[in-house]
Amino acid sequence: MKFKVIENENVSTVFLNGEIDMDIADDVREIVFPLIDSGKEVHLNLKDVQYMDSSGISVIIESNQRAREKNTKVELKEVSQPVEKVLAMARKFL
Amino acid sequence: MTDLNHIEKKAFLVKSSSLKDVRTFCREVFEKLNIEQNLKDELVLAIAEAAQNIVKHAYKDKPDANEIMVVEISLVNKEMKIAFYDMGTPVDPKKVKHREIDNVKPGGLGTFFMQEIMDAVEFKDGKKPWINHLVLTKQL
Repeated sequence: MKFKVIENENVSTVFLNGEIDMDIADDVREIVFPLIDSGKEVHLNLKDVQYMDSSGISVIIESNQRAREKNTKVELKEVSQPVEKVLAMARKFL
Repeated sequence: MTDLNHIEKKAFLVKSSSLKDVRTFCREVFEKLNIEQNLKDELVLAIAEAAQNIVKHAYKDKPDANEIMVVEISLVNKEMKIAFYDMGTPVDPKKVKHREIDNVKPGGLGTFFMQEIMDAVEFKDGKKPWINHLVLTKQL
């Protein structure tokens, strides 16, 4: 999986793509967590993510918790339909 | 959806990089069965979560074991059964449950997804040489 990151003032937008599972989740953490730790607001653009399972949801939960600790925030942008379905199932946990 | 009875199985190495192959196998089988897209996505998610649990939990203590797990998909009389076989650490079914809804932390969601999607999630006795035998069932 290749990531694209666009920096815009105090917002970093990470464009994720492909399928996010247990095998990929740590790669996402390695990209996203340092951005959060730098205090920036992070947008995760999910328009090109065709599949996400509980490992991806875990990354989102961890990112939100981490962002709160750093007094910043993480937002999901352009969520693809397949990911939206998984998020809808997980929403009661988010 | 096809009315034909159908059974297919495939072995995979127990490692996280196999999970994509598990999903591909399931999608191909569901394609043959003409399962509609929404249901197909849900079934693939449930299967992927079960396979992930095998990699993550049953082989937690032996990540480089180079062992296999088998996924078997059957559709008989409109009942879909997805069976998993592995030789990892024995699972205590009583300890397999999703976390509480007000407990916002990562982990435990996979079991929740399986239970939400499927009609039944059951551990059966593993026939030798298998140790664990998980069966997911859904009436179609």
